[in-house]
Amino acid sequence: MPPRLLLRLHRIGLIAMTYFAIFYVLVNSAAYPIIAGKTRLAQEAFGHSIAVLGAQFTWLLPAPIRPDTAAGYLQWRGYGLFAIVFSGWALFSACGAVRRDEDRGLVESWMSSGISRLRLLLTRIGFFAVLSVEVVTVAGVAAWLGCVIAGLPADVSGLVGESAALWALTIASFGVGLLVAQLAGDFRSAAGAGGVVLVAMFLLDSIGRSSLPRPWFTDISVYALFNQSNAAAPGGAFDLTATLLLLVVGVATLALAVAAFNRRDIGSGLLRGRQRGAGDVHEASRNPLLRIPVVRGIWIRRVGSLLWIIGVSGTAAAVVLLVNTTATFFATTPSLSPFLRGFGGDVRTILLALIWLSFAQALLAIYAITYVSRWSGEDSSGVLEMQLAEPLPRWRVLAERSAELTVMVAVISFISMAVILALAPSEGIPVDVGKLVVATAILIPFALTFAAAGALLAGWRPRAAVVTLSTVAAISYLVFELGPLFKWPSWADNLSVFQLYGTPLITPVFAGGLIAMICIVAVGFGSAGVVLARRDIAA
Amino acid sequence: MSSAIVMTGLTKDYGANHGLFDLDLEVAEGEVFGFLGPNGAGKTTCIRLLMGVIHATAGGATIFGLDAVRDSVAVKRAVGYLPGELPQYGGMRGSEVVAYLGAMRGGIDRARVTEIAERLQLDLGRRFREYSRGNKQKLGLVLAFMHRPRLLILDEPTGGLDPLNQQTFHQMVGEVKAEGTTVFLSSHVLSEVEETCSRVGIIRDGRLVSDMTMDKVHELRFHEVVIEFAGDIPAATVRAAAGVEDVAVDGPRLTCTVHGGFDPLLSAIRGATVIDLISREPSLESIFLSYYSK
Repeated sequence: MPPRLLLRLHRIGLIAMTYFAIFYVLVNSAAYPIIAGKTRLAQEAFGHSIAVLGAQFTWLLPAPIRPDTAAGYLQWRGYGLFAIVFSGWALFSACGAVRRDEDRGLVESWMSSGISRLRLLLTRIGFFAVLSVEVVTVAGVAAWLGCVIAGLPADVSGLVGESAALWALTIASFGVGLLVAQLAGDFRSAAGAGGVVLVAMFLLDSIGRSSLPRPWFTDISVYALFNQSNAAAPGGAFDLTATLLLLVVGVATLALAVAAFNRRDIGSGLLRGRQRGAGDVHEASRNPLLRIPVVRGIWIRRVGSLLWIIGVSGTAAAVVLLVNTTATFFATTPSLSPFLRGFGGDVRTILLALIWLSFAQALLAIYAITYVSRWSGEDSSGVLEMQLAEPLPRWRVLAERSAELTVMVAVISFISMAVILALAPSEGIPVDVGKLVVATAILIPFALTFAAAGALLAGWRPRAAVVTLSTVAAISYLVFELGPLFKWPSWADNLSVFQLYGTPLITPVFAGGLIAMICIVAVGFGSAGVVLARRDIAA
Repeated sequence: MSSAIVMTGLTKDYGANHGLFDLDLEVAEGEVFGFLGPNGAGKTTCIRLLMGVIHATAGGATIFGLDAVRDSVAVKRAVGYLPGELPQYGGMRGSEVVAYLGAMRGGIDRARVTEIAERLQLDLGRRFREYSRGNKQKLGLVLAFMHRPRLLILDEPTGGLDPLNQQTFHQMVGEVKAEGTTVFLSSHVLSEVEETCSRVGIIRDGRLVSDMTMDKVHELRFHEVVIEFAGDIPAATVRAAAGVEDVAVDGPRLTCTVHGGFDPLLSAIRGATVIDLISREPSLESIFLSYYSK
């Protein structure tokens, strides 16, 4: 298999992970003096606050080591999160390398060209190993650079050690994903089952971190092995044995995956469900939901929609449960305490507004982009052509698409709001219900702003739509998050689409922003309708 | 008889001489029209123009007097469509795809769906991703035929079907034709067209090179003749005979093709001792290959 083809197959993951690693590490290290303060005293106070905060987050991240330094903070906040993100990337890459390419008929096609199963899988494994070295190295270099910018250089050998541990974890996760992918019947099942395995291992490690003494069985988790190393932090250590064990896990699972791949039929998993016993069906489905416009689209995508509802409302619950801890952290951190005073009102309400609504905006923007991605895909895959073969005007297809997204954004937002309202009293967080309803309602035009721009892009340049929209969303979010931190001028802040939302839970509704969003939605969908009516489908 | 489809100067120019150019064609109501041509000739482009999926660079098309683009919604109420390739409906069951697209049309004739699915032996209970290529094609046929359209536009309808199901398809076309339905089907398989169509159009490099009835097509037929002689072979007189072409001699055998009647050939070999004479009628494929090569 030519490297160019392999690069093409992995390009989205590679680009996304490289950018994510650079931005996340660079921002968290370079911004350290701004967050923690420039004096040694302020940094020590900040480190103490982080240590207190970190102790309450051990179920999520290992306890911080020397958070009074940029490298220590980066070890906790950067590499702690990287363990989750990199293993997730490895899992999806492994499942995609086997099951998605198989579902698309590519594996069969490659094998028919004379590539053996062994060579095929080894090539994919080898290529991913090289790619992951690249991303891990880029993250390490960005971390070093960020610490230099912060004026608190990190130990290079420590960063190298931590990068090696991260790479070993990535390879082990790839192995787990590749092995699970051999058992499942398709990409979705493989990714789902692989996700369950990794979450289970994460929870094991989480239990281990939160228990004294640490139960022995929690050490079998790949995350536990990774967390044995904390070499990026001053005073931390690189655990060679644990890293080698991670590589052993990787090699063992990859070897098992290769053996399983040699045994199974292409197009089906090693574990097969029983065939449907009943006789052939020759009837159209009687499901009434498939007959109702808008509802039919939601029904077809019910599993994904349900996962989004669970994910976003789960995030809302987590934010509510963390507000008090975060409030204490802000109150005890000299460099951060003035930040909230400017808003006035109860600190917990302010934090809920800032954290939850910022998360909600980001998640709903991503949700809208997934819809745009589907719209673009429907164009090239022929789904749109089949819809238009029915007596439907093109504008109605667009109207149904936007209505479906509007309904789903509303459902996700208001269910999450209900979760907040249910949990806030028990956490003692005062919430104005009226304001929360308004803030939640404004999330709808916010998400539709991305969707409208995306609908126009999908009509104009379907293939470029998702990349363009994702880039705009990512830059907007970074400007929105970093602008206040780095005290960027207001004109720069205003470039962010996220700025249009305002802070409706703690300040009056930003009428200008709301009007701008409504205008973008109207103009975007209107223009998308004109473009869709005029253009050739799948051309 | 009124026209079901009228194409006037229909052009879709993709540049570099790709596309469809200046197509003038009329298909009468109740007619089964075969649109023939090799891969990349412009058949699918023509069909997608008729379906209003793509826009013409010049010219236009009407279906039952309605403009294919401007009156696209009204046109599609009367049309059943099978694309060249069905999109991926992933985990949806066949029965759900039928109900989903049927609902967009405003309802489905459930009895008709069951009848077609049974005839094609298609299990609608399976997920789309589990369907073989042939089963996907059958599902496409169910979707096209299920609402008893006045016009069927079918892009290579028997692709992936086994011979038995091809036969069922030919019967279904015969039945809808008897009910007055117009059928416009594209194909590069001449036997399929021979089985079902009353008229054919031949397209090549985006241009219509021929439009003729099947009777006319049959007139193009010729015979491949092999004659075995005991003595001298009258090759010169055979070559000079009217309607006799491709004369070749191999030992005691003479082979040739005969267009029209046999009288000139029989006159040419009069007096020679003939041991054996075999006459074969070539397939339509051979006829069109011969036609194309000219």
